[in-house]
Amino acid sequence: MKNTSSINIFLKEVGETSGFGWRFLTQWFRPRYEIKEFIKQCYIIGYKSLPLIGLTGFIMGLVLTMQLRPTMVDYGVESQIPAIVGIAIIREIGPVITALIFAGKIGSSIGAELGSMKVTEQIDAMEVSGTNPFKYLVVSRILATTFMLPVLVILSDTISLYGAYLGVNIRNVTSFQLFWIQVFDSLSFNDVLPAFIKTYFFGFAVGLIGCYKGYNSNKGTEGVGKSANSSVVVSSVLIFIIDLLAVQITDLLGFN
Amino acid sequence: MKNIFFKNVKLGVFVLSGLLLLILLLYMIGRNRNMFGSNFNLRARFENVQGLKAGNNVRFSGIDIGTVKEVKIINDTLMEVEMIIDKKVKNILKKNAIVSITTDGLVGNKIVNITAVKSPSLYAEENDILPSKKSIDTDVMLRTLSKTNNDIAEIANNLKLTINKLNSSEGLWTLLNDKTISKNIDNALAEVNSASNNINNISRDIRTITKDIKKGKGTIGKLIRDTLLSKTIEEAVNNIKNAGVNILKLSSDLDNTVLNIDTIINNGEGTVHALMKDSGIVIKINKSLDNIQEGSKGFSDNMNALKHNILFRGYFRKLEKSRQKQ
Repeated sequence: MKNTSSINIFLKEVGETSGFGWRFLTQWFRPRYEIKEFIKQCYIIGYKSLPLIGLTGFIMGLVLTMQLRPTMVDYGVESQIPAIVGIAIIREIGPVITALIFAGKIGSSIGAELGSMKVTEQIDAMEVSGTNPFKYLVVSRILATTFMLPVLVILSDTISLYGAYLGVNIRNVTSFQLFWIQVFDSLSFNDVLPAFIKTYFFGFAVGLIGCYKGYNSNKGTEGVGKSANSSVVVSSVLIFIIDLLAVQITDLLGFN
Repeated sequence: MKNIFFKNVKLGVFVLSGLLLLILLLYMIGRNRNMFGSNFNLRARFENVQGLKAGNNVRFSGIDIGTVKEVKIINDTLMEVEMIIDKKVKNILKKNAIVSITTDGLVGNKIVNITAVKSPSLYAEENDILPSKKSIDTDVMLRTLSKTNNDIAEIANNLKLTINKLNSSEGLWTLLNDKTISKNIDNALAEVNSASNNINNISRDIRTITKDIKKGKGTIGKLIRDTLLSKTIEEAVNNIKNAGVNILKLSSDLDNTVLNIDTIINNGEGTVHALMKDSGIVIKINKSLDNIQEGSKGFSDNMNALKHNILFRGYFRKLEKSRQKQ
């Protein structure tokens, strides 16, 4: 009996993704370690994404500052722009925007790469040749996304703040030192640490969804496109869900 | 091979830069929150901390010197604020500095303000409890302000009424418009001026007089200052006193004398007593007086007989003639 109602398909997807994630969690710490492949993936996923992430971060900081200015001037708290922009970037905009761009770039590339490998039966061939394809392909990629996204977010935050500094100086003159002091005066560990920790989960989600979608791609070139597409969509949605969970947990723990 | 090496270098730089930035970020925040470096703790107790939280700034005369570490409840009327203070101010901050909770600006964060007091004291040490000052509650302030506003409104109303009355009063305006008044006032003031000058002179004189008196010049001065005179006066007073005593004695003697006289009279001795008290004598005297009357009558008859006597007639006629001449 085949039950193909959309809810059932959705539940089946969730169940299979969870199982895939569980498989990763039980596999990644066991030998043998594919270190070379991990470092290569880190280079591709992390380093190669930096220009894109940096650009979007810079523009976000600049635009946010310029958009905030009229309202802040209305309220007479123009001097608080660095503090507000700093908090917004560090707490929310930096991690989420970076993760979304990351999902768009990396999620799709992983989904397409693994999907095409699956379609061309390279994964099966790998298994035959004695290499554990899950370890070689999936574990290295998920670990790479998990550890690279936080680094990217930190760099992106920095570039965003620099963009915000330039944004403040378009209409006003604020020395870099004053801007720097104002930003850090308003920040606390409660702002930085939850935001930093949640980026690990964002990275993990992007890697997991990309790998799952690619690993379980349907046969044919259509399947490759579909898995690339759906990995971006699902990981983006998942980023927001994780963000929601993160803010609720930090609120519950009193870190907010 | 070389290609892979460079890739790894790039990756390493990428990761390290990310980590360095993260560490820098955490360090900056930590430094702002006084988590690194050397600090010491100070405490202060308040009835109401007005929403002060851990992490709020502590200021000493306007300079950030630390943060609030913890706000504890000791009992229902006492809260304790524990502060982390930079060790740099350890030899500046004193035990008698006053701690208060204020607001950064009008609507900003709460801050702890430490104000130095200009009296000598020891330097504050680890875990000292500094004296606190009850800060101004904005609520109370606004309430007072509203009351003040009402009062001011009332005062303004009264002032308006008063001014209206003043404006409507013609007498005042004529008084104000009368130009002679000012002249009169001028004159009066000039007189007052001269009077005050006179008073000045008088007071100066009085001053010199009092000075003289102090020095012992003049009668009053002598009275006050001269010891010899006072001795004389004392003697005089003593004499007067003695005289009084003598007079008293005399009067008592007199009294005794009178008493004696009284008893003598009453007891029937002497002429006076006989005169006053003996009725027999009175009769005798009466008889004697009658006899004298009779004797004088006989004498008168004898005299008349003499007038008509020839021997003495000439003498009486001469006497009559000289009386008529006069």
